[in-house]
Amino acid sequence: MAVMRDVMPAFDLLQPTSVADAQKLLEQHGRDAWVMAGGLDSFDWLKDRIKKPKVVVDLSGIDELRGVRSSSDGGVEIGAMTTLTEVVNNPIIKQKFGLLSQGAELAASPQIRNQGTIGGNVSQDARCHYYRAGWPCYRAGGNICYADTPTGRNREHAILDADRCVAVNPSDSAPALIALDAKFVLRTPKGERVVDAEDYFIGPDIDIMRLNILRPGDLLTAIRIPSTFAGAQFYFEKVRDRNVWDFALMNVASAMVLSGGNIDRVRIAVNGAAARPLRLKAVEDAVRGKPRNASTGESGGKLAVEGAVPLQFNAYKIPLMRNLVKRAIAGVEVATWA
Amino acid sequence: MPNTVDTNKTTQPVYGGKNKLIGKNYQTNDLLAKVTGRSKYAEDYRAEGMLFCKLLSSPVPHARVKHLDLSAALAMPGVKGILTADDLPAPADSLTDNGTRIPANKLGERGLTNEPLYQGEPILAVAAVDEYTAAEAIEKIKIDFEHLPFVIDPLDTLRPGGPNPRVGGNVWFRPPLTPPKPGERPGPPAPIEVHELKWTEEDFAEVKQGRLPTGKILEDPGNSWSYGKVDDAFKNAALVLDETFVTPDTSHQCMETRSAMAYWQNGKVYVHTGTQSTAQTVPAIARWLGLLKPDGQPDTDKVVLVSEYTGGGFGSKITGAISLIIPALLAKKCNAPVMMRLTREEEHFIGRGRPSMTGRMKVGFSKEGRITALDMFVLVNTGPYDAVGDAPSSGRIVSLLYQPQNMRFRGLTVMTNTPPRSAQSSPGGMQGITLMEPILAKAGRKLGIDQVAIRRLNCPEGKAQFGPVARGRRAYATSAFIKEALDRGAEQFNWNQRIARNPKRIGSKVRGVGVSVSCYVGGSTGFDGLLVIKPDGRICFQSGIGNLGTESVIDVHRAGAEVLGVPWEKCDVCWGTNAKNLPWTCVSGGSQTTHAMTRAAHAVAMETKKRLQEIAAKSLGGSPENYEVANERVFRKGGGAGMTLAQAAQKAIQMGGIYDGHEANPDVNRFTKASVQALAGQGLVASARDKYPHDGQTHSFVATFAEVEVDVETGKYHIVDFLAYADVGSVLHPRALGGQILGRSTLGIGHAIGQKWVMDPAYGAMLSKRFHHSKPPTILDVPVNMQWAALDIPDPETPVGSRGIGEPPVGGGCAAILNAISDAVGDEVFRRAPVYADTILTSLEAGRPMQHPLMAHI
Amino acid sequence: MGLVQWATSPWGQDVPIHIAWGLIYVAAVAGLLFLIVHAIYVRYFAKAEEYQGGGASPQIAASVPERVARHSLAARLFHWIMAAAMLALLITAFLPRVGVQFPWVTYHWIAGAVLTVSIIYHIIHASFWLDFWSIWPDKADVDDASRRIKRFMGQDAPPPRRFAKYPLENKLYHGVIVLTGLAVIVTGVFMMFRVRTVFFPRNPYLFGDMTWGLMYVLHGLAGVGLIALVMVHIYFAVRPEKFVLTKSMVFGSLPKEYYLEHHDPERWAVEASSGSSKGAKASA
Repeated sequence: MAVMRDVMPAFDLLQPTSVADAQKLLEQHGRDAWVMAGGLDSFDWLKDRIKKPKVVVDLSGIDELRGVRSSSDGGVEIGAMTTLTEVVNNPIIKQKFGLLSQGAELAASPQIRNQGTIGGNVSQDARCHYYRAGWPCYRAGGNICYADTPTGRNREHAILDADRCVAVNPSDSAPALIALDAKFVLRTPKGERVVDAEDYFIGPDIDIMRLNILRPGDLLTAIRIPSTFAGAQFYFEKVRDRNVWDFALMNVASAMVLSGGNIDRVRIAVNGAAARPLRLKAVEDAVRGKPRNASTGESGGKLAVEGAVPLQFNAYKIPLMRNLVKRAIAGVEVATWA
Repeated sequence: MPNTVDTNKTTQPVYGGKNKLIGKNYQTNDLLAKVTGRSKYAEDYRAEGMLFCKLLSSPVPHARVKHLDLSAALAMPGVKGILTADDLPAPADSLTDNGTRIPANKLGERGLTNEPLYQGEPILAVAAVDEYTAAEAIEKIKIDFEHLPFVIDPLDTLRPGGPNPRVGGNVWFRPPLTPPKPGERPGPPAPIEVHELKWTEEDFAEVKQGRLPTGKILEDPGNSWSYGKVDDAFKNAALVLDETFVTPDTSHQCMETRSAMAYWQNGKVYVHTGTQSTAQTVPAIARWLGLLKPDGQPDTDKVVLVSEYTGGGFGSKITGAISLIIPALLAKKCNAPVMMRLTREEEHFIGRGRPSMTGRMKVGFSKEGRITALDMFVLVNTGPYDAVGDAPSSGRIVSLLYQPQNMRFRGLTVMTNTPPRSAQSSPGGMQGITLMEPILAKAGRKLGIDQVAIRRLNCPEGKAQFGPVARGRRAYATSAFIKEALDRGAEQFNWNQRIARNPKRIGSKVRGVGVSVSCYVGGSTGFDGLLVIKPDGRICFQSGIGNLGTESVIDVHRAGAEVLGVPWEKCDVCWGTNAKNLPWTCVSGGSQTTHAMTRAAHAVAMETKKRLQEIAAKSLGGSPENYEVANERVFRKGGGAGMTLAQAAQKAIQMGGIYDGHEANPDVNRFTKASVQALAGQGLVASARDKYPHDGQTHSFVATFAEVEVDVETGKYHIVDFLAYADVGSVLHPRALGGQILGRSTLGIGHAIGQKWVMDPAYGAMLSKRFHHSKPPTILDVPVNMQWAALDIPDPETPVGSRGIGEPPVGGGCAAILNAISDAVGDEVFRRAPVYADTILTSLEAGRPMQHPLMAHI
Repeated sequence: MGLVQWATSPWGQDVPIHIAWGLIYVAAVAGLLFLIVHAIYVRYFAKAEEYQGGGASPQIAASVPERVARHSLAARLFHWIMAAAMLALLITAFLPRVGVQFPWVTYHWIAGAVLTVSIIYHIIHASFWLDFWSIWPDKADVDDASRRIKRFMGQDAPPPRRFAKYPLENKLYHGVIVLTGLAVIVTGVFMMFRVRTVFFPRNPYLFGDMTWGLMYVLHGLAGVGLIALVMVHIYFAVRPEKFVLTKSMVFGSLPKEYYLEHHDPERWAVEASSGSSKGAKASA
């Protein structure tokens, strides 16, 4: 049968107005249902006829999933359907958790940020061009990774924690949320579940067909950022080919609290290196208590890339990750030209 | 020292001197429709009972359709018809104006095929009541292929025993003409054939060192020539550089995909589509659809083309696209209008691309920096169909732009199973300049010569010669003032202050500045102008130019209005369909239009003047020379009797004959004659052909300057400042000119910073099918304060003085960025474009100079 | 439900990619059904085993040692290593498929490598050092099988003879295991070209899409087959009347009584000895 792309097939569009209704619909339709947030990931799959759900459950009408609320502990709770633009512009996030504003603002393009949601950004699927072309790779349920072949084009792919599939996680907000020690609130058929940001994501060794722990029927409803790193020193950098409308080749996020020049508390996360955003716990442990300087940054950077395995076209990611982690610890000199 | 261009110096100079229209800004006639969205592009049209079609495209790079089962698709309600390659008319021969028959390439592209030669090639089309149904129907079609060998890398097909992209070979070959017997006319050329060409293992030994082998080529005048004593010159050179460089394949990425809608009425086909030439697309459509007159000429009366707005062409829609025959033939088959809207993914496959060029340049320099010898060898990947002209063009442009004292050129164009290429803005020129400029930059550094100075030393001046001796002489440019552009540009860009920057590095950031010269063909000659002075005194310029966004469709006629001294408010421009009776016009490719059609506009204005003088003389007495035309009147010199243009038009209708179009100017093309005939009686109908003398070859030039800042820890760089200083003859319309200079510079910048094709060699499949994969530059990838300027020195070989500008900036846009990067990080960091962060980081930090320097589509 | 999962290859062809994972449950249920049916049969319907003739002559019986050596240490080690590898393979292959997720691939290929090496060892060892043919059915086995079937159907037939070293069902089971085992091993070794192992450079393009697809399907079919086969094997190993054989796979020998009751010294000769099992003509 011939292959057709780029024409959206028919499906039933269901638009619940409450989380409870959405859950009911998901339960009712099981694997036939597709959950849609901003639609920027969904529409690619749908119009390419690679995923053909019978029903699409559109969450955009659920008001309780929108908006940023201050929580009693001094943190914030962000509804999963809050747009990236709203996250970027929110004054509390900007003031206390600027790391997330920075990360979210570097995602995609203004138009996409107006439509894309924070929940969608962290939950979006891999962008590997083989997988997205509808090829039957591991991630699509098949038995091969086309990117990790002797001739595969894998410039954008993983250097760490690859297991058969070498795709990377594309999210820009995810490493910021991990660095801020955020908690993800899930509504599952068994009830509410709250997980640490870094535990929301899974690698191919555990499940090669998903980038996160959501199962059919589950919804990510909110993201809670505790006050732990409110107003801390932040560093976010995204390296991409174009200055807008481009996924990260790699990005890094760090949140740090100093005590007398020494690093007291720190969390660092990198995305674009593996199938899940990596929290660099070993690096955090190694730099804690050390002065925040170039030498600490360099040793942290070196530690971060230990065990990295380059593919044919992505060896550059090793020095890139090393340098980004170095900067996430020690900062970067701003060039002021005469 | 300023960080950005000094804005005091960048206030645009006053262009056009004392002219009223030429060189002045104005609001173009189509502007409001475009900015308010009222303009209708092909896919915005609807017709009663219109069907939609979708394409079934090949998933394989090379195969033969073994079996096709359409039954399930045809049985679907809503499916109205299926068009396959078997339904297409045979390729028609074409006839030159003197009647020589050019045989059609039977192996050329036909729109649909039973032997797909690249992934994404259309095999059939389904027409249905809507696209949804057509798509569902395509998924029900069973298709079996016999898989055939395929190749995507041009070097792979040249290897001994390497796969051929087509049954029979990998290169086009036209058997030489048999010389005619004395007194006889030469016979028609023989049909083109597919031949096999392979290099030897010894040739390929060099690939391991990252150098392009200079193996066997096909000898023909465009691809193999030399002048001077190249080998001797190398012996005496103070510096010899031998460099291999690879330029990218890039899609044209027109905002408007090649969508088309067609229907038939009373034996005529009505086609709505985008094109780079309203006039010349009409005969092309007739030929593609087999609508021929008994003498074999295309029957243009059977075609009505509507193309008021075109969303970009860049060489991919010179005469529209052959894919438009799909809705046209389906419309005939289904007896209903058919709309074909192409998706972005389909456009990536059939929408054309610039061919990559791999160049091996051996260049000898004197110690002063003059290029004394150049041995240029280029390999071009044209895809599976007709050979593009990029290879021959690259040799000519490099010869003109760098004026090597002795030069040998060899070019080879091979086929592969990759999407078909076509001309793209500065075809061959852009690549040739990109091959040459990094070498000039390196030579400047090695010889201790300033980068502007070494270009000034080598660039052409005045009527500079170029290319080989042909028919007893070398071709020459009509004029070249690139030295002035370099000088003024360097001053405006603060070149000397920028290169003196100290330090060049702060932290991980390094600054680099680059300059590039650039040029391309800037005009053709011999086309027609046609206008009508209506009885109400308004002038309507008939414009056969495609409205592809450059505004030349309107701009060129201001030259006519200037000659006639008529205020622009009294002028109309008629464009967008041959139903409005258009003159024979150049295609808007090769930056011809401004030059060619200002000449035609000038010619028809002069013709109009002459007819007005005759009308006045016949009506008011005296001889025509006693009358002059000004202030919307024709009147006796020194005052006295006269008449308004309105009165003259009324008089012309009374007089008939040559005055009101019942008789056409005998010089004009038959296409124009038909239009004159159709306009007859509407007023003073004037037509004329551009017969102004023109001996040289028209080229435009640009000096381009850029500064970049590279972060050596991430490899990421950004463009700090950019200036393009153009030598385009007289400025016709500053705002449009600026748009072209900066727009096409950005097109070139895209080649330097990110645009490319990525293909999987195991399956011969395109991976960069969407914008975010193929990465054309965005507005945030260029500096906010991008600058342009023009010399405004008229070209001496054309009456209006204006030359074209579409293409000349492209090579400079690319090369200036490349030169700025190498100024920042060194010469050995990259040997191909685009240069990404990973290229820089891999070279600087991972210690590998270049990964797979010659591998295609990575 | 089909037996095979299909996908569309990059060239638009239908290619198999896996077995239908539902076959895991089918195999498990089939194995379970077999053992339930068998247990019921043995408990309620089976008659006592009856052999032709009166058994070994007293002289021969007297010469049989108290413990009859059955499996050499090497053979036992092989068996248990193979068994451990096989269980590891089945667990790592199928638990993630039924929802227990863990990083299984590395364990799987390591166990596969162990299994492959042990099987290669076994083939060489059995071919050159052991009585190779003892595990393969011979003409007597076929005759006896036919006698058993006839008697089971109530037809007139003489009782079967006592067994040689291995009862027929043992031999048949071995035969099936050889087939399925070789199928998973051969396909599994090629599949190691698709993941990162220490053995050879990855080359997922060693074969075409269709060949690879069939290989994955064969690996999967043999794999789920092994679920049932291993269940049956374990079931027999723990059955009381067979337990003595299981112990022989641990300790190496059978008691003399069992040997004389079920085996024919003509077909499985053991050397007379002073009672030490070491003196028995070792065969396995």
